[in-house]
Amino acid sequence: MSVAIDRRALEPWQDPSAVPFVRIERVTKQFGDIYAVDDVSLSIFQGEFFSLLGSSGCGKSTLLRLLAGLDYPSSGRIFIDGADVTDIPPYQRPVNMMFQSYALFPHMTVEQNVEFGLEQERMPRRERAERVGEMLDLLKIGELRKRKPDQLSGGQRQRAALARSLAKHPKLLLLDEPLGALDKRLRENTQFELVNLQERIGTTFVTVTHDQEEAMTMSSRIAVMEAGRILQIDTPTGIYEFPSNRFVAEFIGSVNLFEGRVMQRDGDLVTVETRLGRPIQMRCPLPLALGKPVTIAIRPEKIRLSAAYRDDAVNQIRGTVEDIAYLGDVSIYHVRISPDQVTRMTLANIQPQTEQELTWGQEVAMEWSPTSGVVLTD
Amino acid sequence: MPPTARPRQPGRRLSRLVNIGIPYLWLGIFFLLPFVIVLQISLAEPRLAQPPYTALAEWLGDGVLSIRLDLQNYLLVLSDDIYLAAFMNSLKVAFFCTLLCLLIGYPMAYAIATAPSRWRIPLLMLIILPFWTSFLIRVYAWIGILQTSGFLNNFLLWLGLIDEPLAILYTQTAIYIGIVYSYLPFMILPLYANLTRLDRTLLEAAADLGCRPFRAFVRVTLPLSRAGIIAGCMLVFIPVVGEFVIPDLLGGPDTLMVGRMLWTEFFSNVDWPLASALAILLLGLLVIPFVLMQRWQLAAEDPDR
Ligand SMILES: Nc1ncnc2c1ncn2[C@@H]1O[C@H](COP(=O)(O)OP(=O)(O)O)[C@@H](O)[C@H]1O
Ligand SMILES: [Mg+2]
Repeated sequence: MSVAIDRRALEPWQDPSAVPFVRIERVTKQFGDIYAVDDVSLSIFQGEFFSLLGSSGCGKSTLLRLLAGLDYPSSGRIFIDGADVTDIPPYQRPVNMMFQSYALFPHMTVEQNVEFGLEQERMPRRERAERVGEMLDLLKIGELRKRKPDQLSGGQRQRAALARSLAKHPKLLLLDEPLGALDKRLRENTQFELVNLQERIGTTFVTVTHDQEEAMTMSSRIAVMEAGRILQIDTPTGIYEFPSNRFVAEFIGSVNLFEGRVMQRDGDLVTVETRLGRPIQMRCPLPLALGKPVTIAIRPEKIRLSAAYRDDAVNQIRGTVEDIAYLGDVSIYHVRISPDQVTRMTLANIQPQTEQELTWGQEVAMEWSPTSGVVLTD
Repeated sequence: MPPTARPRQPGRRLSRLVNIGIPYLWLGIFFLLPFVIVLQISLAEPRLAQPPYTALAEWLGDGVLSIRLDLQNYLLVLSDDIYLAAFMNSLKVAFFCTLLCLLIGYPMAYAIATAPSRWRIPLLMLIILPFWTSFLIRVYAWIGILQTSGFLNNFLLWLGLIDEPLAILYTQTAIYIGIVYSYLPFMILPLYANLTRLDRTLLEAAADLGCRPFRAFVRVTLPLSRAGIIAGCMLVFIPVVGEFVIPDLLGGPDTLMVGRMLWTEFFSNVDWPLASALAILLLGLLVIPFVLMQRWQLAAEDPDR
């Protein structure tokens, strides 16, 4: 029982009585005849690290700008902390944004940049100086306070921009590709720092990213977007293990897809008939009609690949190893399972490469359990 | 860079020499040489001959080269109040015209720079279009507009705003109108060039941080367009100080401006040395603020220095 309560505190979206901090209700944003954001509804809870994930041009930035008030929705309403802010201009919203390009004021020092927002709310000078010092310390850029933005490295600029957007203690911080301009190594370190920072200050974060790994690492929940619509909102685990449709399954990580039709239902176990040999059994909580075309999605690491196969395995597809890519820790096997389908499989290299049992051209079988994947209907 | 970074390449050096040399050659021929000639005339004495000034250096024979530098012209200019008054009036007119051009030109440049992109080129064309007509003709046209029975007075009479025609032509006001009209494009173009480069997300960032649009303009747009403001002001101020045509055509006969003074000394009084001394002093008057402004700008850009 106590476990369930803890879970609710950590995952307020599981709790039907929890009041969302940000509520987006059927929001649409049109630019001419482009639907940049198309009928999006979404709730974000206090203290969340929420990510909008999608490929370039899918409307992530536009959605963020609608929250900041830099664009206004064509229809729909936006609520932040209980108040309808749909028609409130950006300078009156309790929200701050870290811009993708950082948008630091080039004629001001780091210190002046951080102070800028505090000046606007007419905070007394002493208090202002204190807050600026606090922010510079928080982001460890105290010694850069007198520098102008063009005298900073990319990483330092990112910190200055973050300090500026946090200085007013916003209720909601919006981050547009906060790590996009950093190089790979710096990005990985900064991901953890950003999460730690967010946990420490407790501000609700909404970030935009096109990098699925980044979203998986940092977020409490992820909304996967495509062409202005939200396809799925879930925790990183949920998105990865239980994608709700084919696009999400393919967008996050790699996946093997097998198409077929529902042949039989037995409780939450469905049997799917494919063109690849024996029928496949999967767990599926959805009530599926018999004969319905479905796609079975299975992550490569959930599949056992072996040459020593048995005939009584539950799910088995046979094929031939066509290609092996050795990546050090893992190898990727390309297995041809029918004249027009090749699947990819990842196996950890437990044995040294020279002692691997699988080689090119070998007859192999892929096996997995009914709980190792999902059945998708689109 | 370490001094031994790379071997010298004669071809590259030559091309650098040409690259740097050509502008210097240009300046030498078209700026320095005329300057030296004018400077030399300003130190000579007038005479009734061809050319109408004495030579500075005279070969007297027996190895004696006599050089006479006559500072009379400078002393005269500096001691006679009328020249001082002309200088002051020119500076005053230039200052207020520059200010007016800035006040009118900034909003125009801003409006063009923020207009939808398909409107920008046509709007810029409207600014540049007057250049396709001769400057002189455009100033003459103002005579037609401003004179007692001119377009402006008739229009105001017709509106019933005035009962009798205003005397605008041949006054200081006419000079201001003519100069502001003529020099406005020189203010707008550099400002426009500067303002189109302004990153609009900076204004969004300001709004996001709680800044209302007008304050964002004061705190962000205005300081970031300083280079454009300075360029525009220079382009207006410097030529207006020496402006001759507009005061001559639109101003009254008693208008005291350096440009007119120069013209009178050169052509009416045929006192080339005095006119040259005036020109040199005018140049000094313009170069000094220019240098100061540049140093100030450098200092502002790099406060550590
Ligand atoms: N100001 C605008 N005017 C016209 N179209 C826009 C504007 N802003 C965004 N769009 C369009 O809306 C779509 C979504 O853009 P955006 O939200 O920036 O995508 P993302 O951030 O996901 O890459 C794109 O097709 C883009 O071209
Ligand atoms: Mg974007």
